[in-house]
Amino acid sequence: MSTVEDPQLSGDAAALDVRDLEVSFHRRGRRLPVLKGITLKIERGQAYGLVGESGCGKTTLAMAAMRYLASNGTLDNGRVLVDGQDVSELSEEALRKWRGGKVSMVYQDPTQALSPAMRIGDQLAEVYHYHEGMDKKASLEKAREALRRVAIPDPDATLRRYPFELSGGQQQRVVIAMALAVNPQLLILDEPTTGLDATVEAEILDLIEELRGRINAAILLITHNLGLVVRLCERVGVLYAGRLVEEGPAKQVFTDPRHPYTMGLLRCVPRFGMNKTDAALQTIPGTLPALGEPLEGCVYSARCPMARPVCMRREPDFFAWPGDGPDKGRQEAEKLPPDPAAFSPHHAEPVGEAERHVRCYFCAETPHMPHMTPVLATSLEERGAHEADVLGIDHVVRTFKDGRKQLTAVADVSLNLRKGETFGLVGESGSGKTTLAKCVTGLIPPDSGTITFEGGVLKSTAGKRSREALRAIQMVFQNPDSTLNPAWSTRAILTRAVKKLGGAKAGSVRAKVDKLSADVRVEPRFLFQKPTELSGGQKQRIAIARAFAGDPTLVVCDEPASALDVSVQASILNLLVELQTNEQTSYVFISHDLAVVRYISDRIGVMYLAELIEVGAAADVFSPPHHPYTEALFSSIPRLDFEEQKDRIPLRGTMPSLSNPPSGCRFHTRCHRFLGDICVNEVPPDQDVGDGHTYRCHIPPDELRRLQTAKDQGPAAEAEPATAG
Amino acid sequence: MDDHRQTSLGPDPDLRKEAAELGADPEMIELRAEAAASAREGRLPADQDRRDQELQADAAAAAEQKRQRRYLVKALLRSPTFMIGLIILLFWVFMAIFSTSLTQSYTAQDAMSSLKPPSAAHWFGTDDLGRDVFARMMAGARTVLVIAPLATALALLWGSIIGLVAGFWRGLTDDIIMRGIDVLLALPIIITSILILSLFGKGTAIIILTIGILFTPVVSRTVRAAVIGEREREYVLAARLRGERSSFVMAREILPNIMQPIIVEGTVRLGYAVFTAATLAFLGFGLAPPSPDWGLTIATQRVFLQIAPWTVLFPALALASLVVAINLITDGLGRTFSK
Repeated sequence: MSTVEDPQLSGDAAALDVRDLEVSFHRRGRRLPVLKGITLKIERGQAYGLVGESGCGKTTLAMAAMRYLASNGTLDNGRVLVDGQDVSELSEEALRKWRGGKVSMVYQDPTQALSPAMRIGDQLAEVYHYHEGMDKKASLEKAREALRRVAIPDPDATLRRYPFELSGGQQQRVVIAMALAVNPQLLILDEPTTGLDATVEAEILDLIEELRGRINAAILLITHNLGLVVRLCERVGVLYAGRLVEEGPAKQVFTDPRHPYTMGLLRCVPRFGMNKTDAALQTIPGTLPALGEPLEGCVYSARCPMARPVCMRREPDFFAWPGDGPDKGRQEAEKLPPDPAAFSPHHAEPVGEAERHVRCYFCAETPHMPHMTPVLATSLEERGAHEADVLGIDHVVRTFKDGRKQLTAVADVSLNLRKGETFGLVGESGSGKTTLAKCVTGLIPPDSGTITFEGGVLKSTAGKRSREALRAIQMVFQNPDSTLNPAWSTRAILTRAVKKLGGAKAGSVRAKVDKLSADVRVEPRFLFQKPTELSGGQKQRIAIARAFAGDPTLVVCDEPASALDVSVQASILNLLVELQTNEQTSYVFISHDLAVVRYISDRIGVMYLAELIEVGAAADVFSPPHHPYTEALFSSIPRLDFEEQKDRIPLRGTMPSLSNPPSGCRFHTRCHRFLGDICVNEVPPDQDVGDGHTYRCHIPPDELRRLQTAKDQGPAAEAEPATAG
Repeated sequence: MDDHRQTSLGPDPDLRKEAAELGADPEMIELRAEAAASAREGRLPADQDRRDQELQADAAAAAEQKRQRRYLVKALLRSPTFMIGLIILLFWVFMAIFSTSLTQSYTAQDAMSSLKPPSAAHWFGTDDLGRDVFARMMAGARTVLVIAPLATALALLWGSIIGLVAGFWRGLTDDIIMRGIDVLLALPIIITSILILSLFGKGTAIIILTIGILFTPVVSRTVRAAVIGEREREYVLAARLRGERSSFVMAREILPNIMQPIIVEGTVRLGYAVFTAATLAFLGFGLAPPSPDWGLTIATQRVFLQIAPWTVLFPALALASLVVAINLITDGLGRTFSK
């Protein structure tokens, strides 16, 4: 192993230099390898994105870099150098100083990174006190400065607050301020925006982007969201099953992926503007190998549509691309002897100074990787949408009590849903999406207003509804880990649902359960298992099968794929589309992911502060003229396309409280198209754009169209796909 | 098991047909067929053999589960805390059942040899009536090992029912039940049991009922807390959307998932029940002489503490060892399962 420093920086070490790293965990008496042969380098001031699905070892790599491995984790081989310092050589005392001094980390959940019992000021000041030995006054002054640096409004007031008094976005700002407090050489961001709303995520991204120009820290960004990497990083590494499978400049890797896994990841994310009637989502068949599963050959071979026999025999090296990779890969593949026993044991990685590396023999062929083409959705008309409305929501209001305050979670919402139609409901957390959905299914009774279903008025709670109404309206929940009773076998779960909802006779229950599991593509052998033994995707498939047990007319899907990895998400979305095409089911589909909603929905409703502010066909809602809030939401999506980065429209201030919503137009406190007194004093009318597209704003459609199209500079950014109209 | 599954999967399916059904494009089908063909020759796992592979994976998963279970048992067996507790407990259970046929009679009096110190004839000495202390100590395990577990079981049963109802219904039902529970919790256990026993008379059954009732409030609070954590989970919501009755949701959906806290609460209560039973016996509200009950023995012999300490010391030790053993088992279980 070479210990020569990077010659380009004349002796200056890279911010992070990981060499042939191997990490394993010990669990219940077994050694499970987690990372193998990881070699990567982040130069000073560089931002490096690490992507891959959950369980690939991303966080473990970060923890190894911090020397923060859990007590059952061991560093078996390789070295981690941060700013030239070998991490494993530090003493406990030096390690404490080093963490937070040279390296700092921002975790996914800001609420867990901040002590709930300490004021923000004290927590921040502590960092300066500990690392720089400042006295109380000086460190508080520095803390104030740090808050200013991360653009927190009114830093003086924030210093006196406790974490629970801040919003999620503000908390994450504080955590970032804390991480940057002592000018680290390396800043590790572990899913820094996961769990934040779209507009808040965009704010944090802006902040990180802006900070990059001012700090000299290198950034290691760990994320499953490829769009973030496109926006922030120069280089990217793709991790699969503890192996780096592809590495290189982010733009090159994402525009011309050379590893089938990278290609698969890029293909299974719906691009914004895609709809289910245009194209089916690509999926990656199979699942990630379990931790410690013995792997022969290429780690990805079991799921790779390009895999050939040689891939299953011997692991490919990390070939340079475009250099000698393509030829060398093929040559190596061809010259391998047919007898597996004759293979030489795995040798050290030939990682050179090349820009890009790919761990695939056939990287030259990746652009032609075969497509899978699952069922495409039929048009709305074919799904029977010309028939009468299935669901009507009429002036529904729901209020919750929070101590003495009244929180209106759903304020006078009306909408309707046709047969076979998918109604997408978007909005940030707290906008009332889930409450509205639960009113429909009868889990929460509305305070006033009526919900009609197939012409009849529904009873307010599930307990009062007839068996027929229960059968016809079902729900798919968000969390795959709690949606199935962990004490029941999968078969028992489905059998019970069929018995209660299907009205089937004893003899046919079994047949129906088998049909359901076949429809959701869960193999019969999994029916004997308990939910804890299934993967997240399988659990969600069973949950979908359970909802379909009585052949429902309407299924409410509350973020059904949000907790899943992108490849699994794609297969769940495909499954929902397929079931809808076959059964003419109507969906109410809730998601915070706009591209997903845009993909699966026929019509979309946008909720803001308990009100439905815009409704229209999926393509119309996301093109001008549309509500200023929708416009801002739309602009906040991190895109995968390098050319089409749009200017983001920042929202002012924070989300107002539901207990005291703003007067007039509820959005006026944050609106970038604020007109003046009229917005403050008068409730805006629903402007009709035509084709059932309405939005609640004082600006009339023609005026708004002119404003919104004028702002967009690039015509390319504005153009919807041809199919949208 | 495996054979059964293999047959249920049916014969080896045609790869091309399968791929075409999946909607794969022709190029991919070719690639896969090629891979499968050459793999078959080289006897290597390939796409076509994926089902076999999955069967293997399945078997491996089952084996892994078995291995984990065995690992847990092994870890428990290796845990000194758990093992010491278990051995002591088993010793007392054994003695409670068999001691009468193994030791001297625990009732035989011998006025000539009263309050004799430990000797070969009487290992732990004799008491004031010349009865063998060792025999009485061993036999004394019986009453406490009948009363404490039964009382605990009753408390668990009632506590679980009350906790489930209060936690599941919430609202007014919960308020009424929990205020009642608060009142019961405010009562000092020993004094209240003395009151009940004075009213309804002594006797094993009444003691069991009394301790059971008095332990119910604590158990029901624990169960209620667990139910509240569980009732908003999505599988419970799904059950409501299925139109399940509340009793079904409580007993079949929620109860199996809160067994762990209930079991832990049970072992903790068991230790306290042993103490409470012994205390009541000591105060004269348990069994009447000549029962060899430990609490009763300590009470009757304590006047001889200075001249014949063995008469009190050994039953006291027995009592302490049983309570410590139960606590050791609780700790051992907790530590092993949280690993």
